[in-house]
Amino acid sequence: MSSGDDADDPRLQQLVEGVVRLAAGDLDARIEPSDLRDDIDAVITGVNLLAEELSYIYSNLEQQVSDRTAMLRQTQAELEQMAKTDDLTGLANRTLLNEQINEAILASTDSGKPPAVLVLDVDSFKAVNDALGHGAGDAVLIEVARRLKRAVRAVDTVARLGGDEFAILIIEATEEEVLNIAHRASAQLQDSVQVGTETVWAMASIGVRIGTPGHPAESLIRDADIAMYQAKAHGRNNIQLFHPDMLDSVRERSRITAELRNAVAGGELALRYQPVVELASGTVIGFEALLRWHHPLRGLIMPDSFIPIAEETGLILELGRWVLHEGVAQLRRWSETEPELTDFCLHINLSAAELLRRDLLEDVRETLARNHVAPPRLVLEITETVLMSKGTAEEQVLGELRDLGVGLQIDDFGTGYSSISYLRTLPADTVKVDRSLIQDMASDPQQQKFVAAILQLIYSAGLKAIVEGIETAEQAILLQTMGCLYGQGYFYDRPLPPEMVLGRLRSLAHRQ
Amino acid sequence: MGPVAADGAKETLETVDGILHLRWQPGAHIQIEDAHLAMAKVNDACGNERRGMLVDMAAVGSVSREARSVWSIPCSASRIALLGKSPVDRVLANFFLGVHIPPCPTKFFTSRSEAMKWLTAGV
Repeated sequence: MSSGDDADDPRLQQLVEGVVRLAAGDLDARIEPSDLRDDIDAVITGVNLLAEELSYIYSNLEQQVSDRTAMLRQTQAELEQMAKTDDLTGLANRTLLNEQINEAILASTDSGKPPAVLVLDVDSFKAVNDALGHGAGDAVLIEVARRLKRAVRAVDTVARLGGDEFAILIIEATEEEVLNIAHRASAQLQDSVQVGTETVWAMASIGVRIGTPGHPAESLIRDADIAMYQAKAHGRNNIQLFHPDMLDSVRERSRITAELRNAVAGGELALRYQPVVELASGTVIGFEALLRWHHPLRGLIMPDSFIPIAEETGLILELGRWVLHEGVAQLRRWSETEPELTDFCLHINLSAAELLRRDLLEDVRETLARNHVAPPRLVLEITETVLMSKGTAEEQVLGELRDLGVGLQIDDFGTGYSSISYLRTLPADTVKVDRSLIQDMASDPQQQKFVAAILQLIYSAGLKAIVEGIETAEQAILLQTMGCLYGQGYFYDRPLPPEMVLGRLRSLAHRQ
Repeated sequence: MGPVAADGAKETLETVDGILHLRWQPGAHIQIEDAHLAMAKVNDACGNERRGMLVDMAAVGSVSREARSVWSIPCSASRIALLGKSPVDRVLANFFLGVHIPPCPTKFFTSRSEAMKWLTAGV
């Protein structure tokens, strides 16, 4: 169908104008068809419809982009929320806490009240996890989180830093208010927590750091953490306010830790051997290996100054391994020099952590075999508290050590909280009575009776007693009259360097 | 059944020999609501039965995109013959057929008898 002379048809000009407007981006432009409904009108209608489609596709695309963008923003917000929230308790995590501390520091420049941070560590939480399982542990952590939220104001932030460690950010508060919140948090944790049929306690050691203007966020948490460790050292379940002196002791400890790490490899460690004697004859029945650290700059360092740090940092495992290897190798060297002098034992101290060392049993077995030392010549001294835990992994290891044939001795007896009835079933053959029990014995008749009773108790349980810390002739005589057979202490011998041990064995008793 | 045209409606609907006849008024500009109204009438006229439908769209002014999309929704029509005569009708019909997916067999005709033959063949 045609209208005749198409070239003169004004609709063609309108069509061109319309297409130009559409091309310029005006997708709402439409060209009016005529009533002829001919081919030109069909083209006009087609162009109109194409413009409509294009407009629809554009707006649809824009809508899709805006929907997807909104979805991405939503997902990003959810991810951020997840990344900043502790899964278990729903509290803020360390990342969010850091952000909020930084915000609080910025905001505090006007108010002049810098934020404060509390770090709380649940005391004895590991015991809950070990004894009742991780499910119970998690329930306790959730309850702790709930109680801490009750202790704070709406503007404060409670966070879980990880494990059994929590933190509270307190903003816009005076020192008194901060301490009040710390005490409220502590008070909230005094009540027991019911987990199924079990009742447990989840008290906490709390460190408090009140910020000063310009105080950086990371050092606020670090300082509160240091104060928390001081609270732990002060017997747990208490609150300590950070003081700069605390930093010095931390630096000292980290210096010792770093140097101790090198001490093993650097050959700075040595063993001294203190004779264990038969009191009546002065005959040496064994030697206790005692660790010494010859620091290249600080000289001789006694174990009291570094063993607790080694225990905290896990370095004790490496030290223990070294003592075992060196002590047993020394036994072999002595045997090589004096093959007939083998009638004595070597006592080595074993820390609680070492009992859980995976390769301990194998290490003991191999070390003895490598040095051709009979297992009964090695006596492992274990502190009383370790031996008291029944049905634990430690108890199993002790049983296996006994099966190996090595001797087991309870160390520091009288300093822990021994159950007397348990004394009979202990996996040990000797008990070392702690030096503190005989310290004032000579001048205190009551204490004499007490020591005599303890010795009697040990014998009744079928165990041998060794008293340590004998420093005077009077103590030695008194102990002998009480029927004590073995002992050690400065009265008999100081710890000896290895080269003097054989001479001491050959000599007669120093004192009788 | 005679033609049904509500007040202001842009179309009439009648049933002849079992085939629905939907006739848009000449020059009608069909919007989405017109399409919905017409479809409701078609569904109503069919009841539970599906029928072929002849849509007389000759001389329709325009059909909006939204109105066209209404006819993508399944209705009681089992076949739809779009009847037009001008090149404009052909363009309109093919935009409907090309851009949207009809819910039942749909075809454009310029001959009423051809359209009726096709519709009847599908019954």
